[in-house]
Amino acid sequence: MSTVRNPIPAFRRYISSLAPNSVKVFPRILATLVFFAAFEGAVFHTRLYSSIIEPDSTAGAMETQLNNELKRPKPDRNQVLAVGHSRMALLPRIADDMKPSTGYRFASVGIGGTTVRCWYYELRELDPHANRYSAIIIPSDDYNEPDSYENLNDRDLDTRYLIARLKLGDLTEYPQSFDDYKLKWVTFGDILFKGYVYKRDFLDFLSHPEERIAKASLNDRDSHGWYYDYVGPEHSVDGLVIDWQHNIAHYPASFTPEQRKLIEDVLFGPKPRDAGVLTQYLRRWYGRIIDYYRGSGTKLIFLRVPRAPQPPPEHPPKLNSAIRQIASEPDVVVLDEHLFDQLERTDLFADPMHLNGEGMNRFSRILATEVQRVLGPPKS
Amino acid sequence: MLFNTPQFFAFLAVVLILFYCAPRSWRRIILLAASYFFYMSWIPKFILLLLTLTVIDYAAARWIARTESPRSRKVALIVSLSANLGLLGFFKYYNFFAANIAHLLDKPENTYAHSIILPLGISFHTFQSMSYVIDVYRREQKPIVNPIDYALFISFFPQLVAGPIVRAREFFADLYHWHAPNSEEVLRGLLLVILGLAKKMVMADQFAQVANTYFKDVTGHPGLLTAWSGVVAFGIQIYFDFSGYTDMAIGMALLLGFHFPVNFRRPYLASSITDFWHRWHMSLSRWLRDYLYIPLGGNRNGRLMTYRNLMLTMLLGGLWHGASWNFVVWGGYHGALLSIERMFGLKRAPEENRWTLLYPLRAILAFALAMFGWVFFRAVNFHDSIYVLDQMFSGQIGSMFLMRWQIDLALITLVLALLEEKLAWFEKLAVGPAWAYGAVCALLLLSVELLGYTEAAVPFVYFQF
Repeated sequence: MSTVRNPIPAFRRYISSLAPNSVKVFPRILATLVFFAAFEGAVFHTRLYSSIIEPDSTAGAMETQLNNELKRPKPDRNQVLAVGHSRMALLPRIADDMKPSTGYRFASVGIGGTTVRCWYYELRELDPHANRYSAIIIPSDDYNEPDSYENLNDRDLDTRYLIARLKLGDLTEYPQSFDDYKLKWVTFGDILFKGYVYKRDFLDFLSHPEERIAKASLNDRDSHGWYYDYVGPEHSVDGLVIDWQHNIAHYPASFTPEQRKLIEDVLFGPKPRDAGVLTQYLRRWYGRIIDYYRGSGTKLIFLRVPRAPQPPPEHPPKLNSAIRQIASEPDVVVLDEHLFDQLERTDLFADPMHLNGEGMNRFSRILATEVQRVLGPPKS
Repeated sequence: MLFNTPQFFAFLAVVLILFYCAPRSWRRIILLAASYFFYMSWIPKFILLLLTLTVIDYAAARWIARTESPRSRKVALIVSLSANLGLLGFFKYYNFFAANIAHLLDKPENTYAHSIILPLGISFHTFQSMSYVIDVYRREQKPIVNPIDYALFISFFPQLVAGPIVRAREFFADLYHWHAPNSEEVLRGLLLVILGLAKKMVMADQFAQVANTYFKDVTGHPGLLTAWSGVVAFGIQIYFDFSGYTDMAIGMALLLGFHFPVNFRRPYLASSITDFWHRWHMSLSRWLRDYLYIPLGGNRNGRLMTYRNLMLTMLLGGLWHGASWNFVVWGGYHGALLSIERMFGLKRAPEENRWTLLYPLRAILAFALAMFGWVFFRAVNFHDSIYVLDQMFSGQIGSMFLMRWQIDLALITLVLALLEEKLAWFEKLAVGPAWAYGAVCALLLLSVELLGYTEAAVPFVYFQF
């Protein structure tokens, strides 16, 4: 490395030193990128890998529900779809039993652990032209939308649910919906390199390929029936007495320490001061759903799910909550928040958050009747 | 800053851009600054140690070359060796000796112990600098005049922390007759970086999960199959970890126009333990041969002295790996095997016999012997080592620790290694068709994406040595 006396600009010298090499180097680097992109694209950016994904995983649960709903025959537009999380207690079979009186068929893609952001992307997949459903039912935990310690904007679990459905076109928008700067980049990479997100599932598949394929195929064939015939849990928290004033619960002797802890964590856990973070989040994603269906004729029906095994104390309404603000939008119906208060009973709850089978049954009947009331008679 | 982190690749990209965009006269300074930055990204204060040794060895070599007095030459050599071995001994072996002295005096093990952090790469850069000063003393190497050149030789970041141990004449030949890497070297360098990354993240880190679980509580995992899977998992881990690091080091050096020696040549395909040591950590084997085994007399003074020299070399080689009796036992075990093979004429299988029917049997035996050695290397203490060896031959079957995909992956790797041994197909990739190069690189990258362990960046095993 002797000193060069002729002061040619460094960059020009660098380019000229590369020139003889570039003939052979760049085609090989290009070939590497093409092969990589081709494999990644063919396997993970199509339905190929998601068709054998573990059905009990987050992405697997999402795929199962979406595929079942996509395959379900929809002879007309008199279809009502419920999205939501595990507290969306609609049992489509019960609601469908009322079809002679309501005129509508019901379906639910409620998936435990999902959030409103997920629901937007679910609807985009299930209803690409916004013309398949008469109504979409969307649950809310509380119309006052109090903040929790989790910032839903930065819930990276959403990506795990949605990974099979996120497209390269989402690269510009989906990562931007995260607040955390690092998460934006991580999510960007996740959408680009989906194989990385599927890693655990892929390793598990390699460990038991035959069993996985058999399980995925059984799930694909029969899971619609499993979900449709689901009747909910039989047990209840009957005997539980909640003292909301002192945040104390009195348990029947049959309650295990784990059940007691769960109840205390869920009902009496610490809550942060409400800074409107959740409201801001909901405003964004409710807004996206409303915009998606704007002018389509599909009604968006929002409801408050039964909150607890005993009615919690009422707080003054937060007038600027997202749900109260969207209530005035065309084709948006916000159901009376007290519609399901009658189900806030210990004999109708399986745990501190979820209705049991009987509770779900009653919920489905009330909801089907209410939907019929809102939508009016079905269109022929 | 580990090689298997995005931060390192960003650092490498910046270094490559600066290196090739800068005037040639600046390039050594850029590499030296980058190397010191790399070293200081760990614990900055240890740069003083590296600088101190650099100054001492640089001055000692200059002094040795300048004076004709044998006594002065020897004094300079001793000063240099004392500085290197003294600092290495203090940082690496102080607590080991302190614990043993305490044990001898029937006192608690940590009576004389101190909290000492082992400086990054000290075992490697001290060996490299000692070889330089010894070569100057032997008049096999001219002293380096420019201190920046010498400092770069000691601290060059691709091989600073875990080798390969580069000889001064090789490094300075590259430095003083530097030319931009040609297209084949660039392609080979890129391929080696990707291959090394895949070896580390896909093989080493994944098998490390199995080995770590097993060796953390060996008595909690009894059984023959369990012990073998734990030990083989570690055997796979350490090979792919170290050779992966070395591949990346050689690849990065190639991209910068430097040529490092090959450090591994499929050691688990060796047909004997002697052959194994011709394929495993070759730059260390070469160092131990040239600066320890041959000065001890090598094989020149009869069979018994040869066995003694082999044992001494391997015992010290074992101790070089770590301050623990387990490493000494590991070294002694290999020394004994090398002596036995020499005694019975069972050294390397002649190349022409490599693919005979006998070769698989010899290779399996050598592999098994290497695995027994790894037990001492990896087990937490001697008691655990004996327990694991006992389980490897016990009657109970136990359960397989490795998952099916790991076994499949190991078998695929074995087939690829055999093909490479026979056809050298990987070596030819850089000059082969673009589609073949692209397909292999893409497969390696996909394996990192799909199979690589990414829960955390796992440090390289040899960083601790």
